[in-house]
Amino acid sequence: MVKKKRSKLEIFLILLGLAIALSCLTFYIWYQTELIRLGLENQKAREEIKRLEEEIKSLEATRSSLLSPDRVEKMAREYLHLIEPDSNQLIYEDWLTGLKK
Amino acid sequence: MKSRFQKTPSKRNLATAAGLIFWFSLIFGRLIQLQVFQHEKLKNEAIEQNRYIREIWPTRGSILDCQGKILARSLPVPSLFLAREKNEASEHLFEKINALQSIIPLSGRELQRIRNRIENGDRFIWIKRKISWEDLERVKQAKISGIFAQTESKRFYPLGAHLAHVLGGVDIDDRGLAGLEYKYNDYLQGKKGRVLILRDAFSRKYDLQVIEPSQPGCDLILTIDSHLQYIMERELEKAVLENQASWGTVILSRPSTGEILAMASFPDYDPNDFPPADPSAQVNRAIQENFEPGSAFKVVLAAAALELKPECLQNVYDCSTGYVSLGGLTIRDHKRFSLLSFPEVFIHSSNVGAIQVAFELGQDNFYVWIKKFGFGEKTGIDLPGEEAGILRPPRFWTIHTLPHLAIGYEISVTAIQLLQVINVIANQGVLMPSRILKAVAGQEGLQPLSAPSPVRVMSSFVARELTENILAQVVDLGTGKAAALDFFPAAGKTGTAQKYDPWLKTYSSFRHRSLFVGFVPVDKPALSMVVVLDEPRAGRYYGGEVAAPVFREIARRALLYLGESPRRTPRKLILASKENLRSQNRP
Repeated sequence: MVKKKRSKLEIFLILLGLAIALSCLTFYIWYQTELIRLGLENQKAREEIKRLEEEIKSLEATRSSLLSPDRVEKMAREYLHLIEPDSNQLIYEDWLTGLKK
Repeated sequence: MKSRFQKTPSKRNLATAAGLIFWFSLIFGRLIQLQVFQHEKLKNEAIEQNRYIREIWPTRGSILDCQGKILARSLPVPSLFLAREKNEASEHLFEKINALQSIIPLSGRELQRIRNRIENGDRFIWIKRKISWEDLERVKQAKISGIFAQTESKRFYPLGAHLAHVLGGVDIDDRGLAGLEYKYNDYLQGKKGRVLILRDAFSRKYDLQVIEPSQPGCDLILTIDSHLQYIMERELEKAVLENQASWGTVILSRPSTGEILAMASFPDYDPNDFPPADPSAQVNRAIQENFEPGSAFKVVLAAAALELKPECLQNVYDCSTGYVSLGGLTIRDHKRFSLLSFPEVFIHSSNVGAIQVAFELGQDNFYVWIKKFGFGEKTGIDLPGEEAGILRPPRFWTIHTLPHLAIGYEISVTAIQLLQVINVIANQGVLMPSRILKAVAGQEGLQPLSAPSPVRVMSSFVARELTENILAQVVDLGTGKAAALDFFPAAGKTGTAQKYDPWLKTYSSFRHRSLFVGFVPVDKPALSMVVVLDEPRAGRYYGGEVAAPVFREIARRALLYLGESPRRTPRKLILASKENLRSQNRP
């Protein structure tokens, strides 16, 4: 068996081919890993958006609950000591203008 | 001769090579077996491990009032479940449940259900659904194996018991069971979808592909104004408690459009805790309660008489006896009158006079007009469980039926039917069918619902006559004085009905129903209202004493809220302004 001596060009081309193949393989693995990583991040972001949307809805409902008329009235009466005006305590703005005409 | 580069392979090398070839052949063979022959099976297994299809439950739509305030909304909440490991002993699971019970109290019924499921060998068992996030945190801190949480949605009614009868309620799976939740369940629940979820080796989701998009439920926008609803509910509750009534109901509407602005019944319940412990509290008395309307029904008689016998406006009716006897039946007036004109019969609510008018009109004519106003049929309001009332056709009438009908007996009506009658009069003879749903907001945006077509029931002349000469006078001079407002002229009719006692088989002298139907202001009605209080037991029971003040208080506050300008200055009020003073002081 005679071992054939390869030229420098051949060796270079083989190494180049190997390097290209290795680069492609590395790129492919990197690409796949990155795809999954981005997918994970994307999924996390989606979940965060959904969570925040739910939180907004929940806060809106809480706001509605806090601004419910009976609660506002209770606060007005108990904390601010306001009372409801009697009907003859009401003066309409347009009495002195509209009704007089 | 062999060159120095040629060498005969040794037996050891050959054996190694053969071993390697055999080894690779084995691997190759196995690969072929896995990749070719078992391809489909293994591919499915891999898919099952790395990806799974999940159903996406849509979020139930919200219910909003006409100002956009939230009346009902679904919010995410956790639910606890127990996942049984393979061959895990029941005793072990009982221990877990006992440990959990110290963190989350479980009722005896819940415990029994869980125990039964464990003994049945179930692998997935709900422990407690829809708990608070704080409770979940405490469970997590206890670190009990096999207990997991899943997010579900729970219906939340931020205003509590307000508008409970209209909204209704949902079951544990968020399906509408009553009220609008039931009626519009298909709109609200949306459509569930499916997604493909891809997971990595650590079971982390890294991709999500929609197979079938889920459609969230549509939002419902109502004609109800939650502020007016609050005003009304407060006044109704106060009136029911003060008068020691069994129940009460009020409906407030805008006559020109038929929109229901508020609808309340008392007693009520909290839809957050549906169904209520007391089933009678769940009844929407505004549409689901049939009752005899008493004198409030005289409005129908007056309308029919004015339309068919306009000459009766000039008639005078002798009510001096104070009673009328017909075939063994005696009907009395609440007080003795003398001669009454046609409007006065209704202004003072004379039974004797009304019976005379009814005989003048005739039973067939009266029946046609009762039907024309929609009695004996559902109004078609978009709420479930509406009652139609009871109206017998003339062939079943007895000698007592016509006089009874003239004063609002032998007929059962609902509050919403009475409201429609007053709306026809307020709206110059045109009926705008009542409705409660204003618009639907879905993925296509806001879709306002077209208003139902108006129907002319009576001439505008008759409606005007009824308003100005009868109903406005009822409030100013007649039985409905307590409904009068300082700044706005109102029109309406009182009603007091004796309740039928099924044991004694006669009308009771102790049990009554008080009513008031009316609208305000007379010139351009902004509001119409019906007030019904059942069995007031605090001494007063006339509609003019019990129901009319409720009308006045609600109307006063509602008109103020709606920004209606006063139509008149009350007599007792003296207005002073600098301008007036200057002119008076001028020499």
